[in-house]
Amino acid sequence: MNPRPVLAVLFAFLLVGSAAFAVDAGDRAPDPVPFDDTVTMGLTAAATVEAGDRDVEIPRAEVFYTQYRYVVGYYGVTSLVDELARDGHERQFGAPLATYVSDYARAELRVTDEGHLRVPDDPDSFVGWVPAEEAHFVVDSRARTPGGETVVPFSSRDAADDFAADHGGEVVGWDGVRTRSFDTGGSTRESFRTEVDRQHDWADGRVADADRLEDRPVSVVVGEDADSLDAAVAAAPPNTTVVVPPGTYDANLTVDKPLTLRGAGSATHLRGDANGSVVTATAPRVGITDLRISGVGDTLVDENVSTDRGDDWDYRVQLGYGYGDAAVELAGANGSLVRNVSIETPANGVVARWSQRAVVDNVTVEGSDEWQEGFMGVMVMRSRVVVQNSTFVDGRDGVYTHLADGLVVRDNEMLGRDGLRFGVHEMYTSDALVANNTVRGADTGVVVMTRPTGNLIVGNDARDNGVGINVGGEASYVADNVVADNRYGLKAPSKVSLYERNVVAWNEIGVRAASIIPTNRVVSNDFVDNDRYVSAYLGPLRVWTADGRGNYWDDAPGVDADGDGTIDRSFHPSGPVDGRVGDVPGASTLAQSPAQGAIRTLQGLVPGLRPTGVVDEAPLAESVRPNALVDDGSRDRNASDRDATDPNASDQNA
Amino acid sequence: MSRPAFDRLLAVVGRELTTVVRTRAFLALTAGFAAVVGMLAWTANAGGYVPLVLDLLAPVEVLVPALALAFGYRALLGDDERGELDVVRTYPVSRATFVFGTYLGRASALLVAVLVPLLAVAAVVPLSGGTESSFLATHAGMDSPIRYVRFVVLTAGFALVVAAVAIAISATAGTARAGLALATAFGVALVLGFDAGLVAGLAGGVVPDAALPSLLALSPNSAFRGLVLETVVGGVETGTPAASPVAGLAGLGAWLVASLAVAVFAVWPKTDR
Repeated sequence: MNPRPVLAVLFAFLLVGSAAFAVDAGDRAPDPVPFDDTVTMGLTAAATVEAGDRDVEIPRAEVFYTQYRYVVGYYGVTSLVDELARDGHERQFGAPLATYVSDYARAELRVTDEGHLRVPDDPDSFVGWVPAEEAHFVVDSRARTPGGETVVPFSSRDAADDFAADHGGEVVGWDGVRTRSFDTGGSTRESFRTEVDRQHDWADGRVADADRLEDRPVSVVVGEDADSLDAAVAAAPPNTTVVVPPGTYDANLTVDKPLTLRGAGSATHLRGDANGSVVTATAPRVGITDLRISGVGDTLVDENVSTDRGDDWDYRVQLGYGYGDAAVELAGANGSLVRNVSIETPANGVVARWSQRAVVDNVTVEGSDEWQEGFMGVMVMRSRVVVQNSTFVDGRDGVYTHLADGLVVRDNEMLGRDGLRFGVHEMYTSDALVANNTVRGADTGVVVMTRPTGNLIVGNDARDNGVGINVGGEASYVADNVVADNRYGLKAPSKVSLYERNVVAWNEIGVRAASIIPTNRVVSNDFVDNDRYVSAYLGPLRVWTADGRGNYWDDAPGVDADGDGTIDRSFHPSGPVDGRVGDVPGASTLAQSPAQGAIRTLQGLVPGLRPTGVVDEAPLAESVRPNALVDDGSRDRNASDRDATDPNASDQNA
Repeated sequence: MSRPAFDRLLAVVGRELTTVVRTRAFLALTAGFAAVVGMLAWTANAGGYVPLVLDLLAPVEVLVPALALAFGYRALLGDDERGELDVVRTYPVSRATFVFGTYLGRASALLVAVLVPLLAVAAVVPLSGGTESSFLATHAGMDSPIRYVRFVVLTAGFALVVAAVAIAISATAGTARAGLALATAFGVALVLGFDAGLVAGLAGGVVPDAALPSLLALSPNSAFRGLVLETVVGGVETGTPAASPVAGLAGLGAWLVASLAVAVFAVWPKTDR
């Protein structure tokens, strides 16, 4: 056989192939792309919509990573800097290949009185991109975005100096910005726990304030001192109690001074004329307690309302949601209390508009059978309130919140017997606490929409829903929840959020990893007997392991030989073999084969370049909360007990 | 090398290639290797060239030495057993030419068996696009076919080194049984032994941390793995360098030269001709 052709081909291949070591393998920086084509991070929808509505310019950044196939766009250089410093960021994205920031050198920026940046509508003004390494950043100036502090980049040092001279601050380079922290990112477990405690304490304080409304002296008794409810309210001096004895009263009442209206429990029945709201409070510190209310009108959206808030970016939302009929309407009724009231309504139970520090406590709302025909148990509009110990049956949403930053919804029950769309529905609401609620039979138990930030969803128990808990937005805390017997246990479109100590059991699909950008930290959760552990359809492989500890997957094959609490084999719950263990006979045997081992040895490396899915590199050997499901039907209060903040005490594998 | 000497070398190479092509066992091994690599690449669903390299690295580390030893361990040994060596020695061919020709022949066959499947499975990457969003801008990141080519070239180098060791074994072993035993022992040492020794050394404190990069280069598998991690994955994953590429190359080169030298000296005693 003539060896020449074979040798020649091989020699040529090796020679040409060796050139692969000399040429550069794609490390060249790509050019910037339109910001709309990026996967965005930073700033809530409320802030970006407001900025768009008011033409506020937000400095942006765009990053190409070595290990992530999408271009990531950041609203705010601040959010980029915080995200680059986040623990686990590089693990999932690799290093930045190219980083661009907005260049305002030729933008002729103006700064409004509020500190908002504005680019004049002028053909000469132009916002471009500049590589971050070449940019000059003005920090600590008076410039702001609706999200807070901002950093303004320029390609020319002179432009940056001019801006700093006009608006304060100092000029630093990229390295100088990167050493800073802007507090826009997700928090640690400890600070989330602290925040949960602070929110509970705040709510306790509001409830204690509201309790005092029940101690007011009695001034008028309806039927004895006054003929009608209206007359009684008119006659009663402020800061006193109007007593409503048992009986049925036709009511369409407005309380315009700080009064407490107290019935005798459900024997006191206020009956509306099925037209409009039954009781409306328009003054602060109104108490409505111990009553039954029916005869609420069925108007969901009042077409005839107009207010002087037409300049608000959310004006349409205000009109669309905040002015429907209700059993009790709190309008500018700060510090008011609705307690021990049972309500039957075709529209809202309680509406709280611009009523800060109001408390809704131990209220029962029976809504419409079909959710499309009804409205909210409690409709919260631009108010930080407390809703607790209440029961919402059917209707559209148990509690709906719009721009209600910091509200607390705790210890409620939302039951969908015939209707019920969402148990708790947060819109444009950040920093809220949704704790220890029980939701059954809803389309979704708890849902957080419109990219808010800092929400705390803890200790809830959601079963028999379409989706147990669905949290969007950023920097949120989803912990100690039990989601069982749902179609989807959890949906996780959120970013940089912490999911821990949740029990995900008996769902058709345990978790839907819905965020295209893999920044959630998912650890110390229990996955028990779901038909499928996880599903994911976009984004890369997500690593659900942090600091060498992952989650408990009930059928994860392998053993914990070294006794460190984790199984010595990674688990790929979205994989073709691991995803079938505990489900398909034989899959666990196949999962232990050396062939599988060979495939998976290095599978955790370069997750960003791999197809979508989930891998846990250190599955837990023991369940984190083994007793959470034992006490079926009742809330697992111990898990979210505010005393159990010691991580060692509450995490038995620690 | 003079022209006649080069022709003699090619004659030996041609003889070896003919032997390999006529041996059905080699063809079966080649097909098996191709099937395993193909299946691994398919099931790994890598989605990128760098992930594909990582998915293939561990299997290749085991399979390529097995294939190389199988191709080479009886090369000179078989000639000796059948008495053909004695005939060859009557020809005007030096032992260096004969050994080097035998090596080139066997190694070429081995390279074809290794390279063809590895290059072919790279096709799964563009084929396994998966569902991705169409309205967002995408880019390759650090992933690139060039990195895959680097892996293939490094694998070829690794195969050449192990093939040289196999030729040395075939030259030194006296019997087929001894050859098989040596090849098996060396295969186990490659895949497990050298690295386990290093681990033990680190654990026992015999190997200082500073010596690890150079000692790693002495184990062909580790040198190969280190080179792949540095030149293919390096820059994609960040962190401590995986290995010293120079030491790795030197280590592999030393194994290659030393093995061929051993084979030359052991194939038959030096005679004055």
